[in-house]
Amino acid sequence: MSVAQLVPLIILLPLIGALINGILGKKLPKAVVGAIATGVMALSFGLALVVFSQLDKAVEIDLFTMLDTESFSLHARLLADNLSVWMTLIVTGVGTLIHLFSMGYMKHDAGYYKFFVYLNLFIFAMLILVLGSNYFMLFFGWEGVGICSYLLIGFWYGDFKNTVAARKAFIMNRVGDLGLLIGLFLLLFNFGTLEYSELSAAIIGSKVDLSTVLCGITLCLFIGATGKSAQIPLFTWLPDAMAGPTPVSALIHAATMVTAGIFLVVRSNYMFELAPMTQDIMLYIGLATSIVAAFIAMRQNDIKKVLAYSTVSQLGMLFVALGMGAYTAAMFHVTTHAFFKALLFLGSGSVIHAMSDEQDIRQMGGLRKKIPVTHITFLIGTLAISGFPLLSGFYSKDEIIAHAFTHGTWLYVALMASAALTAIYMFRLYFVTFHGSFRGTHEQEHHLHEGPPSMTLPLIVLAILSVFGGILNLPGIWLHNMAHWMSHHFEHNVAGLNLIKHTAPEGNLALMLMIAASVMSLAILVVCYLVYGKKNSIPVADAQLKGWEKWSAGKLYFDELYNFLFVRPTEWLSEKGSHYFESMFLHRSVVGVGQLIGKSGDLVRKWQTGRTDSYILWMVLGLIGLVVYFLIYKYY
Amino acid sequence: MELLLFILPVFFALSVLVMPQSFVRTYGLLGGLATLVLTVVLMANYDPNAGMHSFVSQEWIPAYGITLNFGYDGISLMMLLLTTVLVPLILLSNFGRELSSNRLFTSMVFLMQFGLIGVFISLDGIWFYIFWEITLIPIFLIAYWFGEPERKAALMKFFMYTFFGSLFMLASLIGLKSFAASFAIEDLKAVQLAPEVAVWLLGGFFLAFAIKVPIFPFHTWQPSTYSKAPMAGTMLLSGIMLKMALYGMLRWMLPLFPEALDCVTYPIIVLGTIGVVYGAILAIKQDDMKRLFAFASISHVGLIAAGIMTADKDTLSGSVLQMINHGLVAVGLFLAADVIERRLGTRSLRELGGIAKQAPKFAFWFAALAFASVSVPFTSGFVGEFLLLKGLFSFDSVIGIVAGSTLILGAVYTFRAYQLSMYGPVKTSAFADLSMSELIVFAVIIIAVVFLGVYPKAVIDFVEPSVTDLLASIKQTPIVP
Repeated sequence: MSVAQLVPLIILLPLIGALINGILGKKLPKAVVGAIATGVMALSFGLALVVFSQLDKAVEIDLFTMLDTESFSLHARLLADNLSVWMTLIVTGVGTLIHLFSMGYMKHDAGYYKFFVYLNLFIFAMLILVLGSNYFMLFFGWEGVGICSYLLIGFWYGDFKNTVAARKAFIMNRVGDLGLLIGLFLLLFNFGTLEYSELSAAIIGSKVDLSTVLCGITLCLFIGATGKSAQIPLFTWLPDAMAGPTPVSALIHAATMVTAGIFLVVRSNYMFELAPMTQDIMLYIGLATSIVAAFIAMRQNDIKKVLAYSTVSQLGMLFVALGMGAYTAAMFHVTTHAFFKALLFLGSGSVIHAMSDEQDIRQMGGLRKKIPVTHITFLIGTLAISGFPLLSGFYSKDEIIAHAFTHGTWLYVALMASAALTAIYMFRLYFVTFHGSFRGTHEQEHHLHEGPPSMTLPLIVLAILSVFGGILNLPGIWLHNMAHWMSHHFEHNVAGLNLIKHTAPEGNLALMLMIAASVMSLAILVVCYLVYGKKNSIPVADAQLKGWEKWSAGKLYFDELYNFLFVRPTEWLSEKGSHYFESMFLHRSVVGVGQLIGKSGDLVRKWQTGRTDSYILWMVLGLIGLVVYFLIYKYY
Repeated sequence: MELLLFILPVFFALSVLVMPQSFVRTYGLLGGLATLVLTVVLMANYDPNAGMHSFVSQEWIPAYGITLNFGYDGISLMMLLLTTVLVPLILLSNFGRELSSNRLFTSMVFLMQFGLIGVFISLDGIWFYIFWEITLIPIFLIAYWFGEPERKAALMKFFMYTFFGSLFMLASLIGLKSFAASFAIEDLKAVQLAPEVAVWLLGGFFLAFAIKVPIFPFHTWQPSTYSKAPMAGTMLLSGIMLKMALYGMLRWMLPLFPEALDCVTYPIIVLGTIGVVYGAILAIKQDDMKRLFAFASISHVGLIAAGIMTADKDTLSGSVLQMINHGLVAVGLFLAADVIERRLGTRSLRELGGIAKQAPKFAFWFAALAFASVSVPFTSGFVGEFLLLKGLFSFDSVIGIVAGSTLILGAVYTFRAYQLSMYGPVKTSAFADLSMSELIVFAVIIIAVVFLGVYPKAVIDFVEPSVTDLLASIKQTPIVP
């Protein structure tokens, strides 16, 4: 089959899985439900691999026309190029592993079939997002993944606070979506189309100065990206989203959905290149997010919260890369991040599973002997994200940091600081969880067990990918012919990326930077081992924290600030508006008009006395009045 | 053939009165389906590019200039389709309710349908007015006979308020006729007015429409009427009746007074946009589900009204799509509120919780409706809102952004209502899951909404030529200096 036939199938398979399980899932045995959902994913991934191997130039695939007016058309159309197919590989590949993991993790859940329906639907929406050929399709997928995210965060809706977290995520995302929607309107007004190919043709090589127009458009697109990819100011939903089942956190809130914002910017790279102001804003916001989130992660004790803030921080770093114009470096880090962050989340799921739903690392400790597979894979994930030499995260992060070095020394220092914080809180997490002595209840200790093979297999596969993922885009210091494979891959047929010139340092300077990063991560590893591993020191209760630790544990009080600024004023308006304006003012004035008519009737009625003398009196008074009026009129 | 549009509803409204009690409901449903089939046949035979299909056009009372003029174009047919789809659905939703008289109820629904169809195909001002007022009778009686105990004050307010508005429309109509050969819409359109005069005459129409839509600040009758009327009454009101007013803006207000548009467009759009935000904000903290949906409705229709006033082609097509979407979703949401009330005797969000655990089917369909109501992609509301917001944004970017806040606020109140009632710990006694009739209503609505969300072309292509004609008649009219 050709690419044009395969790509629609890749998208349809998860939808078919969702439909089958949605309609029949309740009656089918759990094993069958899981097998169907995971099977369609594996098939979809297989087809994606075929497409990946066959694809040379970008292919557009027309499905149907959704809307066709004189001024614009909206097409359901797909675009397969190296960027979208690469994203498809990540989504379906990591997706398959996480589906497999969920078969074990969700085994005892009553909503088992529903969970897989939502997961499959999520993949369907995510694939529309990455494979669509225009911003309208992207928006469809964009909000589609938002719906699935909402449903999955609130999956355990029996506990009301989970559903509040789900709603928060949906609403915050909608703030970003409004920005994105306005960006779409601006694109339509200025270029009359939302198709990527037509836009890139119109913008790249345009003789007209488009910088003002594009500055507005890219800002709107970036606002959309801050929502979905959890950047300041719209990042607080992501840590709360951890209320969902852990495989969801791994798939949606770490590996795939939250990288949609990065995908959006990479897809629109030629616009951002012409809007330097937006690039700068993106860089600063990304940097601030990266450091703020890393700072908060320092004193979190919920295993998933630490990982969530770590995700926010890594996303921030990705936006720094995008702000510097290092698009392929960002995509490289998106890829490796998908590997090791999915690994870490699934590992944390395995820990939570073993600990009978305990998430507080203060209640853990010493798990390394009890759940060895989880321990080793989690360690690999930790090392990868901390930039341990030669692991995947080392290369991908290093590429971004190297770009920063050329961009400005201060940026290099700031990113190194962020990377240092990352290493510190990750090693802290690792040592407190897996080393020392067990601190949970006796019952928990009794239940401690490694998950079934469906859970350990994805961990092992992801661990292997986290170790070797760096090969995809080697810096070209040792193996010249394998260097920058991924960058070349994207630059081959992705509009805009083929114009990018490399600005990262090469040769000795690159080597120096790498050595510096390696030394730093190794040093942090040793210090953390001494503090948390060897001394077996346990984090103290939040109430006892002082100074910066208190601010970190309190998440810098962003939630409280937003409540004060937005939530409470809106609720106040709603309550008071309903009481004072609606009932007291509007309603009363309408009733008042009615009463006025009634009252005026009363007034007139008094004159209709039926007595002739009073009528004569009024007549005479009227006559006198007229005479007076005419006299005045005449003489003055 | 076209005359059946009048004959069928009247026939069913009368004949249902003599049907045996046990057969009344089925008979009503059959009657509703018959008019639906008729509409579909008419649509199939209509060529969207053929313009206005006038099937009656003759003198009637020449002395007063009243003519018999009936016809339809793509826009009218879409409104007819909405009416004839919703009437069977509304009848079906009522299967689970015991009313004091099913005969009278069904008869009144058909009388209502008769009036609505008349409104959508009248091409003579007087007939438009007559049908417009006819609809008031059955809706009043339905609410009066079958509404909640403390309905009288609310109903009085509703009746007086809307009737008051309509009288202004009649006055304007007569005023306009004094310059024209007859009340036929073509003759009325031919009149050229000085802008000062046109503004006042338009004002009369606007008042009638603004009250019925309702547009802020003319909405105060609505929340109380919606909450006190029986479910079917609320559905008729929000699902179809308020579309009459939006349709009236499209068909009558814009083409008759192009001279005044320069002056009124901006204020009306601003009012509509205020309504979008105002309705949404007030909906957030409502406790009564029906009142909450009533305020949500103010928010949604405010956007449609504002969109119509832009007099931009894509935006008008979008407004027709959004009218259909709003009709479907409103009926679904009020049914959801009724499903809860019917089983638990309360609609107060404070007292509800955890229903999803007890009734998973209901939870699913209600959730689907909630998503449709916040206009997510894959539902018709998304495309409708996309076109409307795009139109408003190009009209004035600030207004577009303010109106766009519906994206955010809509999610706030809709999910608050959904989560408080469906999620959390179970708070109420046993809750029977959906019955077959309820299930069918929800399923039909969601399937329609999703179909139009993925393939909006079906509606847009059907109405676009008619919208083009309508706009052409506005633009052609030379403006007297």
